[in-house]
Amino acid sequence: MAGLATTFGSGAMTNTINELDQSQVILVAGSNTTRTHPQVARRIYNAVDRGAKLIVIDPRKTKIARHAHIHLQINPGTDIALLNGMMRCILDENLIDDLFIEMRTENYLALRDMLLAVDLDKIEKITGVSRSTIARAARTYAHARRAAICYCLGVTQHICGTANVESYANLAMLTGHVEQEFTGVDPLRGQYNVQGACDMGALPAVLPGYQSVFDPDIRKKFARAWGCQLPENQGRTLLDMTHGARNAGLADERPDPLKVMYIMGENPMLSDPTLGRVKATLEGLDFLVVSDIFLSETAELADVVLPAACFAEKTGTVTNSERRVQYSKKAVNPPGEARPDRLIIQELATLMGYPMAYGSAAEIMEEICLLTPVYGGIYHDRLQRSWGLQWPCPDREHPGTPFLHKYSFTRGKGHFTPQHHVDVAEPVTDDYPLALITGRSYHHYHTGTMSRKSALLNREHPRPRVNMNPQDAEKLGLAEGMRVRVSSRRGSVPYILHLTDEVPPGELSSDFHFREAPTNMLTIGASDPIAHCPEYKCCAVKVEVDHV
Amino acid sequence: MSDSVVLHKDHFLPLLRRLGKRYRLVGPTRNELGDVLYTEIDDLDHARIDLTQQPQNSLKSFFFPQTEPLASYIVDRGANGSRRSLSFYPLLPEKRPTLYFGVRSCDLFAVLYMDMIFLGGKYRDPYYEQRRRDALFLTLGCNKPFGNCFCNATKSGPFLDFGFDLQLTDLGDGENAYYVEIGKAGGRKITSELACFFTDATKEHARLQFQAVLEARGLFQQLVHVDLACARLKKGPEPEKIIADLSRRCQDCGGCAYICPTCTCFTITDQAGDRDTGERIRTWDACTFAGFTKMAGDHNPVDMRRQRIRRRFYHKLQSDVEKHGRTSCVGCGRCVGICFGGVDIITFIHKVIDL
Repeated sequence: MAGLATTFGSGAMTNTINELDQSQVILVAGSNTTRTHPQVARRIYNAVDRGAKLIVIDPRKTKIARHAHIHLQINPGTDIALLNGMMRCILDENLIDDLFIEMRTENYLALRDMLLAVDLDKIEKITGVSRSTIARAARTYAHARRAAICYCLGVTQHICGTANVESYANLAMLTGHVEQEFTGVDPLRGQYNVQGACDMGALPAVLPGYQSVFDPDIRKKFARAWGCQLPENQGRTLLDMTHGARNAGLADERPDPLKVMYIMGENPMLSDPTLGRVKATLEGLDFLVVSDIFLSETAELADVVLPAACFAEKTGTVTNSERRVQYSKKAVNPPGEARPDRLIIQELATLMGYPMAYGSAAEIMEEICLLTPVYGGIYHDRLQRSWGLQWPCPDREHPGTPFLHKYSFTRGKGHFTPQHHVDVAEPVTDDYPLALITGRSYHHYHTGTMSRKSALLNREHPRPRVNMNPQDAEKLGLAEGMRVRVSSRRGSVPYILHLTDEVPPGELSSDFHFREAPTNMLTIGASDPIAHCPEYKCCAVKVEVDHV
Repeated sequence: MSDSVVLHKDHFLPLLRRLGKRYRLVGPTRNELGDVLYTEIDDLDHARIDLTQQPQNSLKSFFFPQTEPLASYIVDRGANGSRRSLSFYPLLPEKRPTLYFGVRSCDLFAVLYMDMIFLGGKYRDPYYEQRRRDALFLTLGCNKPFGNCFCNATKSGPFLDFGFDLQLTDLGDGENAYYVEIGKAGGRKITSELACFFTDATKEHARLQFQAVLEARGLFQQLVHVDLACARLKKGPEPEKIIADLSRRCQDCGGCAYICPTCTCFTITDQAGDRDTGERIRTWDACTFAGFTKMAGDHNPVDMRRQRIRRRFYHKLQSDVEKHGRTSCVGCGRCVGICFGGVDIITFIHKVIDL
């Protein structure tokens, strides 16, 4: 998000998902697309069927990587080095798009100077990918007229996540692969409606529509609409909140921890890194309120639990990765006392002395249209008649925007931001010789709050698994199906061992859906300095047989 | 009265209204998003009946719902609270005589196939039977097959020779009427009891109907050699490479089995309500899921990576041909539209033929 915002001026997919069908080259980075975004994978299949070349950057041999023409199986957390290598090759072979760079971008010379200092032998060593393969990928990408980059959390969930994204944007701008149909940089969002949540200002420093909280005119606009004063400073990031334990005797205690938290539809007790610390923080609060559709691990710690309605039990909108705002209509009534989140918030606000009296979700949408320029013309009645509208959509007559940055980047000129390789926060050592990558499995979603309630999904994936390369297993004397214990410096978690060549030797992968195997006991809290996204994708661990 | 009559289109809705007094009505309607689905119709005046599109669903869920409670149970406890036994109370669906109208040939054919599965053997499925009994079918032949249809190749359309109560054929704009063939007794009952709605069919009507059937056969956009593929599969060897290639692209979503009008696999689970009560639930299952054959200790007799789709295609095109003398694919083409990865039955058949 932050990475694309600095380079392009807007942190969202620059294309429509359907455009991928027509791309000539698709570069997929850090995305297990077939599992996490099957509808995107479908377009990639279509494109490959039409003759497109597929390049996959992933430490794991995922299903999509098995379909790739070129699989760059990098060491975890070495995207920047790889991209610098690719860009150096593009520069050396003069495959850059001079005109695009001249007309549409700035700070190119800084990038060029950095690239000229890149040592390709060193790159080969850092990434674990041969020079010739890097060059082949670079040529394939640069030669295409229509090339799209799709990336996901494998790129962002690193301590250099923002720098990673900026590097992908550099690559796209260097070759002029932005601003057109079928061509661009496309972050695939990690969760249902996370794009919508960001759009609506669920970020520390922005109000709805990415309007800066530091801008006095913007604050004035919202103050007039809401009849109250708005804070002039930005809010806290997620880890600032969930890692802010008071008096827990932690070395890097954060200043001014929270006293009260109200958590909606989120389960940090499984999803946030270094769970021990999250638990200490939540238990140290004076008051914790959780609203969720089931009693999650987080809700179990709450003083008050408010039962919420699920997606099918309320009317509203969902915004997907391609910035498409879609109407979602209530299908069934919520059970028992459960209510839609908007009603819970309205009543809480009213009880706290700020009466909110929205009659419907459509009325709230009207206020969004009034205050948020990119959503300016997205009214419920328009959405009901269509398959949704893609923002920016400034007024009622506007048809929506399938691809961004046509003729001009949102911020004016695209900004090259040279980046250098950053070592992972926790490299492997003799004591902890394996690198653990976390991700999603196919049959479960996130912390399993919903998917683990389904008998069929549970049958397909009943137990927490850790994936290991058969070579490592042989060395350690482990076999398929064994009970093992994976430990990091922060904790230890039991799994069933699964042997697969999906992970290369020296690495492990696991999901984080199971409360009986809370993977985030192991992960580290080190995070990106700008986006504060934690490095879920790499921590040092060891594996032992679990003698239960 | 002869075996065919004519129904003027103006009288179609009034006929449904009369029938609606006796039967629950289910037919294709267009919802507010523009999708056409077979739906239960409560209010004929406000239902947007649409006989121009292929409904996205089949009739499967009306007889065999996606989830259905089979029984409720109560745990009987002894004096000290220990569990002594379980009592089960069957939850049979209520009997509701239903008229399914606007049913496409492939969809009725699929119901006839399901009859063999649920009612054909030694044990009859009481849940299915309860819903199936007193069901009437007023089918609509397809003058113009839809994009993915290939029922001509599976011999389950575009018009039927049997199975229906009444089969309607659109006689075209000139006539503005349906040619109505009377099949089973239920159809005869409707045409005789509500005879005022129908007129006798003339020779000219019969000629027009014959013409429509002939023309429809020439309008298929898909040419799928189902018979040839069945013969190839029977003769062997197994097309391992095709199966492996397609399996790699299968995303394991189960959409093909769920949308398929003849996929009838299910699984049964118990859902606890509280400590002492619960329900036994039947849900749709799919043979493309790894868990379908997974055994204790995670052993799986089927190599899911390479053979994920083998079972499905072989069942449709091989096992059922041996068992029932015909494929259980009815050529509706729905799985072609729903698959994420291009792993549909038409692709498979084409590849087998190309071998």
